[in-house]
Amino acid sequence: MFLVTEFVTLLATNLILTQALGTSTLFIAAGNKKNLLWTAITITIFTSVGSGAAYIINVLLPDGLADLTLLFYTLIIGAIYVLLLTALYFAGSDSFETTRKYVHVSAFNCAVMGTLFTITDRADTYPELNTFISFVLSGAEAGTGFILAAFILTAAFRKLNSAKVPHSFRGFPAMLVYLGLISMAVYALR
Amino acid sequence: MQTKTKSDRFVWIDIMVTLLTLELMDYFYYGVRAVVLGSVCAGASVIAELICLRLMHRKFTADDLTCVSDALIISLMLPAVFDLKVAALACVFTAVAAKNIFGGRLNMIFSPAAAAYDFLYTSWKNQLLMFPDPHVRTGGFEKAGNLVSSASHSFNITGKMDASDFELLLGNVSGPAGAVSILLLAVAAVVLMLRRSISAGAFIGSISATVLLALIVPASVTRADSVKYTLVTNMVLFASVYIIADRRIAPKRDYYAFFYGFFLAAFSYIIVITTAKENAIVLVSLLFTPVALGFKNLEKHIELTQLEEQEEELKTAASSAETLGEEAAANEK
Amino acid sequence: MKNKKTAVFDGLLGDNTVLSSLMVISPVIMCGNTLENAIALIYAFSAITFFSVVLGSFVPKKLPYAAKIIINAVIASIVYIPVKSAAGEFFPEVISRVGIYFPLLAVNSLIVVQSETKFSRMKRGSMIASLVFYILGFDAVMIVTAFVRELFAYGTIAGRLVDADTLISGLGLPFGGFIFLGLLCGLYRKLRSASGRGENKSGGDGNVSGN
Repeated sequence: MFLVTEFVTLLATNLILTQALGTSTLFIAAGNKKNLLWTAITITIFTSVGSGAAYIINVLLPDGLADLTLLFYTLIIGAIYVLLLTALYFAGSDSFETTRKYVHVSAFNCAVMGTLFTITDRADTYPELNTFISFVLSGAEAGTGFILAAFILTAAFRKLNSAKVPHSFRGFPAMLVYLGLISMAVYALR
Repeated sequence: MQTKTKSDRFVWIDIMVTLLTLELMDYFYYGVRAVVLGSVCAGASVIAELICLRLMHRKFTADDLTCVSDALIISLMLPAVFDLKVAALACVFTAVAAKNIFGGRLNMIFSPAAAAYDFLYTSWKNQLLMFPDPHVRTGGFEKAGNLVSSASHSFNITGKMDASDFELLLGNVSGPAGAVSILLLAVAAVVLMLRRSISAGAFIGSISATVLLALIVPASVTRADSVKYTLVTNMVLFASVYIIADRRIAPKRDYYAFFYGFFLAAFSYIIVITTAKENAIVLVSLLFTPVALGFKNLEKHIELTQLEEQEEELKTAASSAETLGEEAAANEK
Repeated sequence: MKNKKTAVFDGLLGDNTVLSSLMVISPVIMCGNTLENAIALIYAFSAITFFSVVLGSFVPKKLPYAAKIIINAVIASIVYIPVKSAAGEFFPEVISRVGIYFPLLAVNSLIVVQSETKFSRMKRGSMIASLVFYILGFDAVMIVTAFVRELFAYGTIAGRLVDADTLISGLGLPFGGFIFLGLLCGLYRKLRSASGRGENKSGGDGNVSGN
């Protein structure tokens, strides 16, 4: 019972299905299972660590300088981007060529930046969520939501790219409509 | 190939026969308006299908008449007095966005009926969930006056049912006419299962989950009432037959189909008892499309592995026969 | 010469930012449901993207890829500040309605990725011309999407009521945006192939990145 309710909540707060954040990144990720897994993991790292850092920035940044939030968030993501690339380089320079592409794809996109802004917005509305732990957990939850949406798309990937699909709709257009219908079901259940 | 086409057509005929019977019951309770609604849905679906196929440079064949059964399923889930224009719009939406964009009947992803219902639910929820009382007849094109909420709605809210068992069996309660005729639906389910026109695994899975959860977490005062009313309300039986057990959507093997139906029904039962959402099973059906596709992918994967193993075995057998032959030839020498 | 000219105009039709490359689709899906929102987003997107990409073209090409991406994003975040202040004057109500999608425009793929993979390889003059057409391509899709969705979802055009008796309220919601954009994308491809444009153009299938 609890699991089902949590699952519905995860769907109802899913950044892709309800806010269309990171849809293009998802389309790249769903291309093959390896890409999907690594992109999802990398995005989860970015959203979790980035959300923790976003909390610190929100606390330190005076209200009058709210317009600088985006700049600081960009700097955070930039720093994580560099750190992750450095870590991957030292972890295995042979596989670096392969692994770095996931970092490139995951760093600056709506999924990551949107997560930071969404969590901040939510914390403004519900002050009890304005804690470091809550920010990090929400970031991880957003990453999990991305993985879930990626699995939803992967399940239909073969059919959406099938030769039976009209040429004009094969691939991305079919994926958009497919996600739209799933999103419609989520909306109906909310 | 020919056998497959033939069997697909028989499946469609079987389903059409049961749907027309339900449509007849609909006529009995709500008069000519119900027939008009069904006809408008069927007409809109056929026209939309024709246009889509024309755009895809395909011919309209007898197999494409499946759109008529989909349209009848949609009309049977609606209140008999539902706005005809909106019903037609839902059928067109389904034909275009939920079916033919993905390649039509050759590459089905979503249940057309579930997609249409969700589409209506998200934009015309109030109209969709208000019904005329049985035997209150309106003209073919008139608007209905006194509308009431469904028996499912009051059961979800109170856990009680006002109608007698006999009335429930005959469908003499407010609700979508096709979905409340329980006796007819039960007969249709048995007939369609025996004739293999629906996925028995998915149907049994769906019913099993509903019964099991109704016993474990009763929605009514007594467990017997819980099982009884849970099965007959919220379109559980109707959706189990025509949407969940749809052979085009459910996994092929009964084993996987059972789990697909089971999880789907269990999920929707929990949604109903936690949120009192009416007809959640139809809404969840659309959401569970990736699960069905996942099971189908798994089936394909297993089939491929089995084929590879068989090929491997054949190769091994051939090479050992070759070796034996060579040995025999050497012995002869 | 002819090809060069076509390449400059590509962003408007042949290689449309949204319909061909599926970039910057979240604002279109989420906020492209009224003309009022659309105009505010068009202003923000056009201003931020134009100035960011032009300023980004001065970043030394010898820097590592990651460094250039970060610098591009930082430039866009700085450009965002005056653009937002000006938007507060012109569209005070829309800003709050558009919410997080306003700052997210600053990390759109056209600025972060395409400026590096596409625009940096062009001469500045043709880069600016090409960029203008890419921006116009986004603007056109935004206007069409917002017009249709507003008309059929709310029965209004730019907030003014029109005579429409059957409204599809779902079209104004995110899932309506997904479905409508999918249909528009298919239609665009159909028209593109009918007009004889290449099927495997850069930025087409499989070449999306970013937003």
